[in-house]
Amino acid sequence: MESSLLLPHRYKRIGLLLLLPSLVLGILVRFFDFTFSFLTLHIAKTTVNTNNLHLEDNINLTDELALTGIIVALLFIAFAREKTEDEYIAHTRLASLKWAVLINYLLLLLATWLVHGFAYIDVMMYNMLTVLIIFIVRFNYALNSNKKSPE
Amino acid sequence: MKNTIRIERAVHNITQQELAEKIGVSRQTINAIESNKYVPSTVLALKMARLFQKKVDDIFLLEDTD
Repeated sequence: MESSLLLPHRYKRIGLLLLLPSLVLGILVRFFDFTFSFLTLHIAKTTVNTNNLHLEDNINLTDELALTGIIVALLFIAFAREKTEDEYIAHTRLASLKWAVLINYLLLLLATWLVHGFAYIDVMMYNMLTVLIIFIVRFNYALNSNKKSPE
Repeated sequence: MKNTIRIERAVHNITQQELAEKIGVSRQTINAIESNKYVPSTVLALKMARLFQKKVDDIFLLEDTD
């Protein structure tokens, strides 16, 4: 993997620090309909009488904020360099990335057949994040299992 | 492919961490090579051979399955 695409090592911690509040905000928005009122955009209201179509006149950006925070945080964690970057770590990073993409799509296939109706929207929502998450878990596990070996 | 890195390390009395630092790689790399989880690049193999004052062929042994 090209070293030029990697962020400095400290971004791993920055990512972790950003992830926690973003996750909390995401959970609040998704499951508790929480919004920041100051993030509401007021746009023109449109009503079509014959079909009783009524378009929303407000957009609240709290969910956009939460998702952006989570994605950026995961990107920071995933693309931060290790303290010593060498050939083995680059090799492990590439292998973990391939593994994560494969596992992600296998899980998606499974969910496609097991989850139906509107619940599938949740599947799609989590699927946006699972590649990065699986990669992060797999990569760090591969590195740490090597660290714990004898000597 | 087999290697005798662990034996060479014992002979020269250095730990994985020390070997890693001398060559300029991480300890995980040394561990992975010794555990046969990773085949090092040519440059790395040559560096190791030079450090142990042996030929590459004496440290890294090709197996029939390779």
